[in-house]
Amino acid sequence: MAGAAPLVTTRAAGGRLLVAALDGVAEQAGLALGMTLADARAVAPESCVMPADPTADAALLDRLISWCGRYTPWVAAAGLDGIFLDASGCAHLFGTPASRGEPAMCGDLVRRLKGFGFAASAAMADTPGAAWAMAHYGADNCAIIAPGKTAAALAGLPVAALRLDAATAGTLARVGVARIAQLCAMPRAPLTARFGAGVGRRLDQASGALHEAISPRMPVTPFRAHLAFAEPIALADDIERGLDRLLKDLCRRLDRAGRGARRLALTLYRVDGEIIERQVGAARPARDPAHLARLFAGRLGGFDPGFGVEAMTLAAQGTEMLTPVAGTALIPGDAAPAQFCAEDLAPLIDRLGNRIGFEKLVRLGAHPSHLPERAVRARPALAEAMDFVWPPTPRRPLRLLAPPERIEAIPPGDTGGPPARFRWRRADHRIHTAEGPERIAPEWWLRAGKTRDYWRVEDTQGGCFWIYRHGVAHRDRPSQWYLHGLFG
Amino acid sequence: MTDYVELQVTTNFSFLRGASHPAELVLRAASLGQGAVGVSDRNSLAGIVRAHVAAKEAKVGLVVGARLDLADGLSVLAYPVDRAAYGRLSRLITLGRRRAPKGEYILYRKDVLGHGKGLVFIVLPDDDDDAAAAQTGALCAAFPGFVYLAGYNFCRGDDRRALARRAKLAAHASVPLVALNDVRMHERARRPLLDILTCIREKCTIDNAGLRLDANAERHLKSAADMARLFRGHEAALAHTLEIASRCRFSLDELRYEYPDEVSPDGCPPQRRLAELTWAGAKSRYPGGLSPSVKTQLEHELGLIEELDYAPYFLTVHDLVRFARERDILCQGRGSAANSAVCYCLGITAVDPSRLDLLFERFISAERDEPPDIDIDFEHERREEVIQHIYQKYGRDRAGLTAVVIRYRARSAIRDVGKAMGLSADTVGLLAGQVHGRSGDPVDNAWVREVGIDPDQPRVAMVLAQAQRLTGFPRHLSQHVGGFVITRGRLDELAPIENAAMAGRTVLEWNKDDLDALGILKIDVLALGMLSCIAKGFALLRSHYAKSYDLATIPKEDPAVYDMLCQADSIGVFQVESRAQMAFLPRMKPRNFYDLVIEVAIVRPGPIQGDMVHPYLRRRNGEERVEYPSEALRRVLEKTLGIPLFQEQAMRIAIVGAGFTASQADRLRRAMATFRHAGTIHGFREKMVGGMVARGYNADFAERCFRQIEGFGEYGFPESHAASFALLVYVSAWMKRRYPAAFACALLNSQPMGFYAPAQIVRDARDHGVAVRPPDVNLSNWDCTLELDEAGGGDYALRLGLRQIKGLKRDDADIAAAMRGNGYGDLAAIWRRAGLDGPVLEVLARGDAFGSMGLSRRDGLWAARRFVAAVRNGAAKPLPLFEAAGDDGWGTDAPVALPKMTLGEAVIADYTALRLSLRAHPMALLRRNFAAAVTAGDLKNTAPGARIAVAGLVLARQRPGTAKGVIFATLEDETGTANIIVWPKIFERFRRIVLTARLLKVRGELQREGIVIHLIADHLEDCSGLLATLAARDTGEPANAAAKPPPPARRRHPRDQARALFPSRDFH
Repeated sequence: MAGAAPLVTTRAAGGRLLVAALDGVAEQAGLALGMTLADARAVAPESCVMPADPTADAALLDRLISWCGRYTPWVAAAGLDGIFLDASGCAHLFGTPASRGEPAMCGDLVRRLKGFGFAASAAMADTPGAAWAMAHYGADNCAIIAPGKTAAALAGLPVAALRLDAATAGTLARVGVARIAQLCAMPRAPLTARFGAGVGRRLDQASGALHEAISPRMPVTPFRAHLAFAEPIALADDIERGLDRLLKDLCRRLDRAGRGARRLALTLYRVDGEIIERQVGAARPARDPAHLARLFAGRLGGFDPGFGVEAMTLAAQGTEMLTPVAGTALIPGDAAPAQFCAEDLAPLIDRLGNRIGFEKLVRLGAHPSHLPERAVRARPALAEAMDFVWPPTPRRPLRLLAPPERIEAIPPGDTGGPPARFRWRRADHRIHTAEGPERIAPEWWLRAGKTRDYWRVEDTQGGCFWIYRHGVAHRDRPSQWYLHGLFG
Repeated sequence: MTDYVELQVTTNFSFLRGASHPAELVLRAASLGQGAVGVSDRNSLAGIVRAHVAAKEAKVGLVVGARLDLADGLSVLAYPVDRAAYGRLSRLITLGRRRAPKGEYILYRKDVLGHGKGLVFIVLPDDDDDAAAAQTGALCAAFPGFVYLAGYNFCRGDDRRALARRAKLAAHASVPLVALNDVRMHERARRPLLDILTCIREKCTIDNAGLRLDANAERHLKSAADMARLFRGHEAALAHTLEIASRCRFSLDELRYEYPDEVSPDGCPPQRRLAELTWAGAKSRYPGGLSPSVKTQLEHELGLIEELDYAPYFLTVHDLVRFARERDILCQGRGSAANSAVCYCLGITAVDPSRLDLLFERFISAERDEPPDIDIDFEHERREEVIQHIYQKYGRDRAGLTAVVIRYRARSAIRDVGKAMGLSADTVGLLAGQVHGRSGDPVDNAWVREVGIDPDQPRVAMVLAQAQRLTGFPRHLSQHVGGFVITRGRLDELAPIENAAMAGRTVLEWNKDDLDALGILKIDVLALGMLSCIAKGFALLRSHYAKSYDLATIPKEDPAVYDMLCQADSIGVFQVESRAQMAFLPRMKPRNFYDLVIEVAIVRPGPIQGDMVHPYLRRRNGEERVEYPSEALRRVLEKTLGIPLFQEQAMRIAIVGAGFTASQADRLRRAMATFRHAGTIHGFREKMVGGMVARGYNADFAERCFRQIEGFGEYGFPESHAASFALLVYVSAWMKRRYPAAFACALLNSQPMGFYAPAQIVRDARDHGVAVRPPDVNLSNWDCTLELDEAGGGDYALRLGLRQIKGLKRDDADIAAAMRGNGYGDLAAIWRRAGLDGPVLEVLARGDAFGSMGLSRRDGLWAARRFVAAVRNGAAKPLPLFEAAGDDGWGTDAPVALPKMTLGEAVIADYTALRLSLRAHPMALLRRNFAAAVTAGDLKNTAPGARIAVAGLVLARQRPGTAKGVIFATLEDETGTANIIVWPKIFERFRRIVLTARLLKVRGELQREGIVIHLIADHLEDCSGLLATLAARDTGEPANAAAKPPPPARRRHPRDQARALFPSRDFH
């Protein structure tokens, strides 16, 4: 890491940015947790700074917890930056035949995590409390406490190693009880009278006098249907029928909860332990079994059923409130055309999206810009309903020429108004009426452009055009004119 | 060609809506040849005075008005036709502002109907519908002939149709149509800034602002010809602008300031009353009888006051001072008119003018048509009483605080523009970090490049350019710290009044310069911490030493006081306690009062920028001959040995040396101080330097004088101010010298104030032989007190107050002291009698305040903790029966033996809870680690030029703007303080250490001039980590192995703890 810039993340607190986390280089450079960013910059101007992302941190820890499942199924989060592994009966599976056991497992874990780029500290002990204490406050980053040696190992650690809150640990330190050994030696009654039962409980949890259970992580999917088969099935038709039953079951539950699914995961459990998973998404929350079944259509084939599927589950992974809609007899031109479109389009978007990918589907929408060619923008088809619609004025042509086409003003002189005649695509147009100008200045922050004066003009033939002068009118110099669109 | 007047102009005093200064708009209208221009800010007249001043200079008419947006859906422009109508408009705006929180307003149609007489209204309808017609009709019915309807042409495509519709609406309502252009900027080129302001207001970025921005740049001031083209076919609408302008002839010049009547309630003419009071005061000020010269001076001053009719002003000030004296609030006047014999006799100041020889004409002159200026400082803790007295006496409708216009500074401008332009917060922070001070100077591209940003990248270049333009724009109004305007009639008919952020305060929309420009008097009611301290000191002298003094009666010219100041022994002394002053005192060697006046004025940016300090010192020490640039200037500069040091002198030089008139000289000072626009300064520079050279002065001297005026402009320090301050310097120094215990006590009880923290004040008191005792629940009050020191031969010892304990509330301390009786025997007694619960007892225990009960800090904490838990568990107070039996009713508590604290631990605990320790200095405990370092106390015995090392806690780091990147640090060890100078080159090498170390070891070369000692750093070492080992130390000897501290958690950096414990004062 030599030569790397210090890396810190920041969080906002009371209008200031504070250092939320930092790497080893930053620590070496003199930065510290809780410093203001301004101070940090003064100390190490070369620092690389990015905002803290607690959600991503939590997601990362979550992924690590899943990954730890390779050591033991019994894994749980320990705070925001730790993981408990219940390694009972697992340790002998790790290491070489010569050195199987706990040191091997622990070492393997730390080594792999380091390989991923984490600074990890691990400890194994009789109790979760003792392991936590050693991992956080022990001298070794891979400590193994032999059975029965817990008390001795913990004796010298600070009381904060007992997972006490900062205030309690601070008060204990202030009265001189700095280390766990001192705490152990104290009579329990006066201690409890002052700090409540918490200190004693943590002490007992660490020593093993009180059992502490680790609750393993469980996926939480409240909307989940399950179907087990007496005999394994393998035919596509059978699977489809199974799916139908699951969908009916699931949609009934969604209906009761007033919700609709945005994402569905179908899991097929093969008799040999393999797992096959299929996921579909929906543009809008849905709970119509027929519609959802169509989304799966064509996605059930193409897998090997092996010796057969013995169970299926269907889980709604993302759900949203979906209030029932009364009757669907929408008449075009109704008071809510936008909603009509949305209702109508959603199934189409779903079917197209699940086939070719939602990321490839776009729709055009209004964009707030004064420049006509920038007033339309393509947006992902799945994006929320447009919150912006064009204002009723000024009136613009429905379709624009891209790029605008040069026209020849006749006569070329400019009086500030529209030309009397113009020539476009070798045809002459004599202007009969004109309205304007609509002056649109360039978006100065993007690039220097010229102001345009737009005129809506009608020629003697009844054709309506949208033309503009490029730049400011000049008495002595002919202006450049363009046609940008046609009305009607 | 004057056939059009723009009547809808929004200046930048409609915050974040207008993109031009009022003066820019007015000047532009003038250059377009328009005879007048209207200004209509949003429910505000805040910018109108600037427009007025500019209009007078440019000789165009100003139509004074405002835009009113009513909560029940109507917007109008309102232009008063005369003074009375202006008063109603001002009241209307006040009404709207007072109803709403600061910065907002709420007005209804009924308010306009109630106050609208004499106002010309231009209705700005949203739409051309029936509602607009009805609203216009209603207004028209109420004020027939005074209502117009606005018509626009913004080049939006269908303008002519819209205009025709509007004309139809006007005809339908029988209201004349008037052509407007809703001007937001004086010229087209301001469009980028206008768009950026819109983004700042709408809290969006330029890229997603969309239709919130205008489509084009048409809202600028246009020529009459342009307007005529745009309103072809509506010529009457153009003519109506002229009609309105000619109807609304009200000018701000018609505002006449009238003094309140209260100054002489019995109807006695103010001048006679002033004379009576003055002569009566003179009798008590000069008990031995008036000398002829004083008598002449008084007569002369009274004559001048009469001539200019300023007696009511002096009486108003006198009334405030008398009120303060009745309430026993210490106060002192300063300012141009304050150091007059009249003010001395009225008790407004305590500086005998006969000691100073200040000329009264310099303060008040007929020629300089400006009101006298007196600021009064009050004890900072009691100023509020005076303010409330003013409100009570004159009423809120007649007295108000003046405003301060908070403007965009270079840094805030870059921040807001950068954000609006969509730069990342990080980039904005980096850019803003490259801006120094308040200047509107362009950001140096080299600096920008240094932090890794390309200044030529288009976005960055735009941000820098627009931010520079935004700098100086008003951002919001704030309240002046104490400038009061008091009127005879209703104040809100003079100018609008709005709510301040602070509850119970109201603020006039105009600031000091606006009031000055219109000749409206204001009185500054200011707060000064040192006056609180001196008042408390005087009280202690009365109660403990039976000595009764006030500012005017303390013994004068005590040589011991000057001896002390010459030694730079000035911690806590007003003004001269800063590092720069301390370094200067031994060189200046003040020996009399006037030396102190100079001392106060000389160590300031003005004289330093003008490079006047060293020449003065050389002349004073006889190293340079005293000579004068001319005989004419000799009279101006004689008192200061030929070197201009005071603002008055600089002004005199402009007059005598460069041929300025008095009012020109004053305009010059003002140009520097307030209307700081590039361009005007250059004009003055040429005029002054040129004028002086033409009169035969050295160009270099002229240049220096000008630079000094530049400095004065921003940090003006006139002799009259310096004299008032010098008195406080003398009084505080006298008290420190003669009654160090009382002085330290008063100083501690006035915290926070001054340059030093309680730790240094306590240390300084102990150095001066004062016994200092720790806070104790049985012996201390909230404030520090004096108690008889049996050991110290009958002198007083300083008992620290419970206020020193971090986290203790005053109410709790007061009740503990009140219920003490014969003392508390244990914590339960406090709990029962004073009703203080567990957390408060714990705070007291942390402060080690149970010593008189025989409880150590740890024992106290252990005992207090039980009460904390009791509260948490919801236990009630002990029953009376148990209480009588001496039992707290919670059963017995097994005894626990807590480990004794080491000295180091005790010191840390002291610093944590009290921010100071009476036990030992941390450096004393760590001394063995710095065996080779010289102690601060030994520096004076070290030869100059020696290469040595010192070590100590960092007390302060400073980077004065005048010192070109040099860092000054102050280190403290157990023997005293050491001053470190870090040159920029060394700083770059040790940047992190210089900025973050709490415990620093510095090696370098010793420099000494007299008793001023500096260490020029060439190597710095961060020893903050050692502070973590402090806990283990019992003495300065190596800690024994058994007491090895628990290993710190690996994630915690040792510096974190040091930072919390030993904070330094950095870069103030």
